Amino acid sequence: MSTLHLVRQSAFSRNDFEQCISVLAEQDSLVLMDDGCYNLKHPLMASLLKKDNNKVSIKVISTHAQARAVEVMAGISQITMADVVELTFNHNKVITWQ
Amino acid sequence: MTSIMQSETQPQLTDASTALGVAIINSKAPFSSNAGKDALDVALLFGSFEQKVSLFFQGDGVYQLIANQDGSLLAIKDYLKTFSAFEFYDIEDVYVCQQSLIERQLSKTFHIDNVQVLTNKAFAVALSKHKHVLRF
Repeated sequence: MSTLHLVRQSAFSRNDFEQCISVLAEQDSLVLMDDGCYNLKHPLMASLLKKDNNKVSIKVISTHAQARAVEVMAGISQITMADVVELTFNHNKVITWQ
Repeated sequence: MTSIMQSETQPQLTDASTALGVAIINSKAPFSSNAGKDALDVALLFGSFEQKVSLFFQGDGVYQLIANQDGSLLAIKDYLKTFSAFEFYDIEDVYVCQQSLIERQLSKTFHIDNVQVLTNKAFAVALSKHKHVLRF
């Protein structure tokens, strides 16, 4: 059972992202959107990238990151909202963290 | 009315940073809520009535000042551009919490000039000099 995780809030002010990471499974996908883009610079993201050897697919909505002047590092794929629609079909369920 | 009478009887303060004006604390990121826009409206309102306003940016609020943002990508009216009007409203004191910048791995490049980056302690001291505080 794969899950699509939509993270929409900043981990610097809410603990949604921490809760999300605690339930992440290997075949899951993580999409950062809206203020969730700020989490690219959060220590939780650094430890996630280290821990899982990138088995969890991490993506970010490119316009959302660009609007916030958040730099997207290599290894994180940049997608559009149209891609999110497709992702919802490719996963068994969706959890929105907001 | 009483408070105005009181402030008139007090000795003139020479240093602008010690004036007893209004402090506005911005604590929210710019695009996902109306908080930043509301704070800006209130700041400009006080400014246009020639009331002393200082702006404080703390926590996720520091994202409001970061350079190279573009709200138009989100189909949002980019109120951040209005920050450059601060000088016309005599809003000169803009303070940023250094710790908040460091935590978020942000550099000190802002989209407006005359931003003062303060340590936790200096930030607290600057805030304590104000008579009224509004937090958004």
